[in-house]
Amino acid sequence: MNTKLNSFVIANPQECIGCKVCEIACAVAHLDKDAKTAGNFDIPVMPRLYLVKTAEVVMPIQCRHCEDAPCANVCSASAITQIDNKILIDKDKCVGCKTCMITCPFGAIELMPIYKDDKPVMQMVLKAETEEGLVEKQAFTASKCDLCADRTEGPACVQACPQKALELIVPQEKKKQRSIDAANRIAASIKSL
Amino acid sequence: MKFSENRIYIDQELCTGCKRCSQVCPVDAIEGKQGEPQSVNTDRCVLCGQCIQICSAYASAFDQDIAPREQKLSERKLLPSVKEPLFAAYNEGKAPEVKAALADKELYKMVQCAPAVRVAIAEEFELPLGSLSPGKLAAALRMLGFNSIYDTNFTADLTIMEEGNELIQRLENNGVLPMFTSCCPAWVKYVEQEYPELIPHLSSCKSPMQMAGAMFKTYGAQVAGIDAEKIYSAAVMPCTCKSFEAARPEMNSSGYRDVDAVITTRELAHLIKDAGINFADLPDESFDAPLGTYSGAGNIFCATGGVTEAALRTAYEVIAKEPIPNVDLEFVRGTDGVRTAVVGAGDIELKIAIVSGLKNAVSVLDSIKAGKTDLHFVEVMTCPGGCINGGGQPKLLLPADRAVASEYRSASTYIHDSSIEYRKSHDNPEIKKLYNNYLGKPLGDKSHHLLHTKYTARR
Amino acid sequence: MNTFIMANPQKCIGCKACEIACAVAHLDVSVSTAGATALPFIPRMNLVRTPYITMPIQCRQCDDAPCANICAEGAIIHRNGINIVDDDKCIGCKKCMVACPFGMIDIRPKISNGELESQNGLRIQTAEGEQAKEVFVTYKCDLCSGRKGGPACIEVCPAGAFTTMDHSQIITDIRKKRLAAALDIANNQKK
Repeated sequence: MNTKLNSFVIANPQECIGCKVCEIACAVAHLDKDAKTAGNFDIPVMPRLYLVKTAEVVMPIQCRHCEDAPCANVCSASAITQIDNKILIDKDKCVGCKTCMITCPFGAIELMPIYKDDKPVMQMVLKAETEEGLVEKQAFTASKCDLCADRTEGPACVQACPQKALELIVPQEKKKQRSIDAANRIAASIKSL
Repeated sequence: MKFSENRIYIDQELCTGCKRCSQVCPVDAIEGKQGEPQSVNTDRCVLCGQCIQICSAYASAFDQDIAPREQKLSERKLLPSVKEPLFAAYNEGKAPEVKAALADKELYKMVQCAPAVRVAIAEEFELPLGSLSPGKLAAALRMLGFNSIYDTNFTADLTIMEEGNELIQRLENNGVLPMFTSCCPAWVKYVEQEYPELIPHLSSCKSPMQMAGAMFKTYGAQVAGIDAEKIYSAAVMPCTCKSFEAARPEMNSSGYRDVDAVITTRELAHLIKDAGINFADLPDESFDAPLGTYSGAGNIFCATGGVTEAALRTAYEVIAKEPIPNVDLEFVRGTDGVRTAVVGAGDIELKIAIVSGLKNAVSVLDSIKAGKTDLHFVEVMTCPGGCINGGGQPKLLLPADRAVASEYRSASTYIHDSSIEYRKSHDNPEIKKLYNNYLGKPLGDKSHHLLHTKYTARR
Repeated sequence: MNTFIMANPQKCIGCKACEIACAVAHLDVSVSTAGATALPFIPRMNLVRTPYITMPIQCRQCDDAPCANICAEGAIIHRNGINIVDDDKCIGCKKCMVACPFGMIDIRPKISNGELESQNGLRIQTAEGEQAKEVFVTYKCDLCSGRKGGPACIEVCPAGAFTTMDHSQIITDIRKKRLAAALDIANNQKK
């Protein structure tokens, strides 16, 4: 049985300035091409983490890669699975039913249009009725943080944040470190007696 | 060909108040509390556009709480075909205006491109950062329908002739020293508003862009054999301040507005895409003579230290009466904010300061005001690294890529310089012809009228 | 994003008023009492009752509707924001029924003008001899498009268990959740 817990990225609201570089980096990392300048970006910017900005708090929110992922459990198309300790949505299986979107307790899932080579991917058969007759409909998929599974350097948002406000949490390591820090604090207080 | 207000805006709907823009603003022109939408103080703003380059508050295509994209494109005077994401900080565009002019058969359209354009525009077409593409640039401009594909690099050479001689004149006649370069319009505006007492230090030379505009509608009209009234003078610049410069009331020495419209490197890419031109597949073409022929010295204007190096390649020869031993002056290159150098030329020891990034000019200016320097020449570029990183250059999406792009654009600048037959402005055969056939001599009457200008205290 | 209707299992009392209302709303004849019609009763949603949960399950108006995309005849189209069946094109092949992950598609006899319709050619052997078979078509939720008062299920439910999940509702809910998550972290830090 695999007991390794899933990692996830979380932001520090004390450091976040709400600049949205993380959203841009995320969107860029998930393109099927290398986009360096704004002029290279021909499709909508589609991040998988979302800046929350109110008077009380400013920080991005993203998927927690839950161990008992409610999104995966409610998905009727079996489109969400755990692969290599990441909860991943298979866009080819997703039917866009939106159930995962409303189930996620963090609001971490969005419904996003699908593009390939900068062109919209159209649905196989479903067409929409318009004044001009039947027109093709663009395909959509549920979309959420995938911990940059295809990226050798890991999460793009963590790397790009100018304030270093995003952290990749490896839960068991974090836990261990906290215990060690706690023990060291006690040790230090003993020395001082 | 009217001028709308030239200024930098911050879209109140998009700005998240992160204040990264105010951190890079060299004149503290961005006002607002952290977390609230910022605004630009137009009295202080020098239109350098560094805020535009750093802004990451983009408009989401899925946000229904903001004005629709078509409305924003229209407000920003961007072509409706533009697909790229829109950000909070922006400048008003001129591409639709230029597109209309290109379609007007009555006009004779002349265009010039700054050196920085050819080391960056390819990036907008997914070619590597800093790709050198002067050939494709010329081909694209021709395909768009410009009649004469001229070049700012030619007038950069011309600027060296005029400014080099102006420096020598000041040296010989106890003129105001140090002399400041005057090709960066944001720097000029800054001196006019913050240090008006130092205005006499500014070279009276116009910028290469403005010199080209004046030349187009005089010498250029002659060469083309057409009425100057029919000439539409366009410029492609890496700079968001050049449009402001072109609109300065005094920039009409040709008898007409010397530069009718300025678009940025990004806007030229928009026009090229709008016309369905596949930039990456274009063959290499040349710029047109006479006003498109340039030396390597003219090309290096876009990197910090480039104007100085170009000036030295010529001034050394005039003063020492022999060619400079080494054309490549590594000691003025680099990226440090303030660099100084001493150059022995003949009997003189020229003391030079090069400032990269307007914030770094303050200490130098204060020393000059206090009479504490013995400098002869100061080059100031508002944008850190020079025009290659100007407010109108292709906008890097990720912060880490900005340094990479700067490095490669700079490298391409000097590679292009090394590959050109003529390395010094005064060796440019078209420059020699221009003086012989038209201007007479540097700082002569015609030069004075067409190529030199005055400044206005703004305080 | 397509609008759909969702039930709250914590409010549902399992009374099936929604199924009745749905069936009646789609008869193109007026029906007031149980005895008033001999037509088959065809709701487009089903009450699910298990030991663990009682709630109606209904069509999600999927944006990439598998029922529509698998249809051999292109009989399911997107009209005014709803995925709707064109009866004239449906051949009853059942691909959509198999494709729907929610089990929301049913294939039942077609009713037009208060009557069942006979097929032109297909005959079926019955105990009473060979007869023309009724036309069968796909039945799925159409959000009561064209009905005055909107979806019948929402109108009739005595427990107020239904919510219309439209685009802005979903966005509002999600934003609330994100804000709660963010405040949670921010407040935790302060402690």
